[in-house]
Amino acid sequence: MGTKSRCPCFVLGVFLLLSFAAPFSATAAPSDIDFFKGKTVTYIVSTKTGGGYDTYGRLIARYLQKYLPGSRVIVKNVPGAGHIIGANTIYQAEPDGLTIGTFNTGLIYSQIIGQEGIQFDLNKFSWIGKANSETRVFVVGAKTPYKTFKEIMDSKAPIKMPSSGVGSEDHNETLILASALPAKFQPIPGYQGKEAEMAILRGEVPAVLGSYTGLSGLIAAKEGRVLMQYGSEHGIPELKSVPHINSIEVTPKGKSLINLVNSIDIIGRLTAAPPGMPAGRLQVLRDAYRKALTDPELIKDAKKYHLDLDPAYGDDVQKLVAEGINQPAENIRTLKNIIKTKE
Amino acid sequence: MDVWDAIWAGLSGATSWPAFGLMLLTIPIGLIIGIIPGMGGNMGLALLIPFTFGMEPLSGFAFLLGMHAVVHTGGSIPAILFDTPGTGPNAATCIEGFPMAQKGEAGRALGAALTSSMMGGILGAMFMAIVIPVVRPMVLAFGPPEFFMLAMMGLAFISLMSGSSILKGLMAGGMGLVISFVGMDPQTGVVRYSFGVLDLMDGINIVTIVVGLFAVAEVIDMGIKGGAIAHSKSANIKGSGVLQGVKDCFMNLWLVLRCSVIGNIIGIIPGLGGDAAAFICYGHALQTTRRKDEYGKGCVEGVIATDAAHNSKEGGALIPTLAFGVPGSSGMAILLGAFMILGISPGKEMFTQHLDLVFSMVWILVFANIIAVAICLPLAGTMAKITFLRTSVMIPFILVCGLLGSYLTTSRIGDILITVLFGVIGYGMKKFDYARGPLILGIVLGKIAENALHVSLNLYGLMFVFRPIAFVILLITLATVFFPVYRAHARKKKIEETSK
Repeated sequence: MGTKSRCPCFVLGVFLLLSFAAPFSATAAPSDIDFFKGKTVTYIVSTKTGGGYDTYGRLIARYLQKYLPGSRVIVKNVPGAGHIIGANTIYQAEPDGLTIGTFNTGLIYSQIIGQEGIQFDLNKFSWIGKANSETRVFVVGAKTPYKTFKEIMDSKAPIKMPSSGVGSEDHNETLILASALPAKFQPIPGYQGKEAEMAILRGEVPAVLGSYTGLSGLIAAKEGRVLMQYGSEHGIPELKSVPHINSIEVTPKGKSLINLVNSIDIIGRLTAAPPGMPAGRLQVLRDAYRKALTDPELIKDAKKYHLDLDPAYGDDVQKLVAEGINQPAENIRTLKNIIKTKE
Repeated sequence: MDVWDAIWAGLSGATSWPAFGLMLLTIPIGLIIGIIPGMGGNMGLALLIPFTFGMEPLSGFAFLLGMHAVVHTGGSIPAILFDTPGTGPNAATCIEGFPMAQKGEAGRALGAALTSSMMGGILGAMFMAIVIPVVRPMVLAFGPPEFFMLAMMGLAFISLMSGSSILKGLMAGGMGLVISFVGMDPQTGVVRYSFGVLDLMDGINIVTIVVGLFAVAEVIDMGIKGGAIAHSKSANIKGSGVLQGVKDCFMNLWLVLRCSVIGNIIGIIPGLGGDAAAFICYGHALQTTRRKDEYGKGCVEGVIATDAAHNSKEGGALIPTLAFGVPGSSGMAILLGAFMILGISPGKEMFTQHLDLVFSMVWILVFANIIAVAICLPLAGTMAKITFLRTSVMIPFILVCGLLGSYLTTSRIGDILITVLFGVIGYGMKKFDYARGPLILGIVLGKIAENALHVSLNLYGLMFVFRPIAFVILLITLATVFFPVYRAHARKKKIEETSK
């Protein structure tokens, strides 16, 4: 009986001690590392099982466990509402370091325009790191007449492009780039997932935007030609001769929109924790994440899965996200005008 | 490579060691994943892929396809015994399968479902091999206008599935359409019918609904009536009718063949979805049968038609994945990822340089289907006896099984509430004689129809109706709707004339 009643007091004491001590130290104290011993860390993936986010999430979770000694890191899929439900769940979780997770960086657009259902503020998440920078590509069908991106920009007729839906990241990006370049892109909503590539094969639409990894099958099968790349510039060898969007001349206003799109695509496959984490514990997670992402075994596994890696850590990611979200008022107005949903 | 050489090379590949052994290992896994409601082939693939690291490509295929090919075979078992579909496409099996169990014919239903799914799987694999030369034009001929017309054709089956009252059937179908609209509308970015509940933004999963509409509704009914699932004790428990079910399949060979081809084609066309295949085949069986009155009350033909469709579509779904490197479904997207891990990049070369590998896959599908049924058939008689147990034993079991399935499908607690709500709706429909098939059909096809209509209008304007294939499907649909009306009118006229 005695030990039973003492136990909660002890835990409370430790908790109080930690919460007082935490703000004063940014380095991981041994007590913070010990905290994870015998605990279960839940890594939330905001999509269903299978697919890119799940694969990255499971790989990272496995190696996080290796560098959080004595802990168990499990993956929980919380899909829905285009990653919003997963992001909400992470944001609202207890900031004790036992719930972290991943979601789509495109939610930056959703927050800027104030999309329905968002219960988080991306400025406030405790950022742990990101695993990749995304190279995105503009692809035309093999049978279309377009040979250069200039022909696309000069086209008088609208260029129809598949999108998964109004408010989704690909739809927003199509509209923003159309306004920034400018080009006559016309997104056709209603193509879920791989249907967009089928639309290119069938010739219903001449062009599609997407991540290079997602479209590499289409490109490798010579069913599509890449005319332009944007997002990360970290250099995919197959795309050496393809012009980057930064080399296209645009107005200053267009340039700032393109910078926004690029910066969002660079923060790929992020890992975040709820706001208000004790600094010491956050540091433990950031250290573990850094060790995981530089582990030669993880790098080997990533190669097997065909996953690209271009990691960044802690404060650097925090800064990248803040840059993306905290746009000048004029940019936000422009963005809202471009990507507002129909009423 | 000569086609015949490729077929033989494929056979020797599929039967080589360790590929064959690995396939034997994953077939039971696939069956179990199918039997457990809420776990589907996609989850199975995601779980098994890490084990394929370091395997030869052929062994890797055998390992994954062995599991994937037989998931729906397992999924029919709880659909028949407990009215709880193991996977989404098995929902259609419930419509006739469970009423058969209630008549005391669970064994016959299991025998028919297993045999028909095996035949469907084999025919689907064979059909896949036959269409390889014409695969490109075939896949690319179906775009959004054609999807819309196919969905319309499917919706026309509501009139056939309505049972005693067309009006009630239309009401149920209309309600199904409204339920399919729940969630984010891709055309406007507006969330519809979610009442502020965030979980509803993606719409309601079909398994969540079907478990409620059938399994929970049945539990309520059983709780009120008591007894056992099988109302009739007259059936011979010992023989259990499994063999009769097997015989039924052979007697309906022509139906099995037609439904396998339909299922396979729907599998080949990416975008229509596997759930639709089984329902369209059920509708087709209803349309062509001479025993329309027996449908809805446990007709073995209905079980045969739906189960032939499940497994045959898997062969079809492989085609776009292999031919273009573009997967037709989320399951195939995972499989494509696995192919790339195994060092095979799908595309045109698959059918020129790696034709033997393609045929190995065909053979693996054939063997996996035969072996799965060889495992299940001897057990079917024993499984059927469950339906003769007291309901007080069965209710907790079915309830836990069904609600667990609903939770596993989406991992959302809220969906359990939705399942219970649909349980009450389902019980009400049963009690007041509203057929539940039209409701499900509306839900399955509503979203496809709406989306395809918007995309078609955006791409082609109203002229999309006159695209050749779309127009032909439209004519067939109109004929199926109006021909019975015309025939009834003509018969009435004839009777009037003769009475004069």
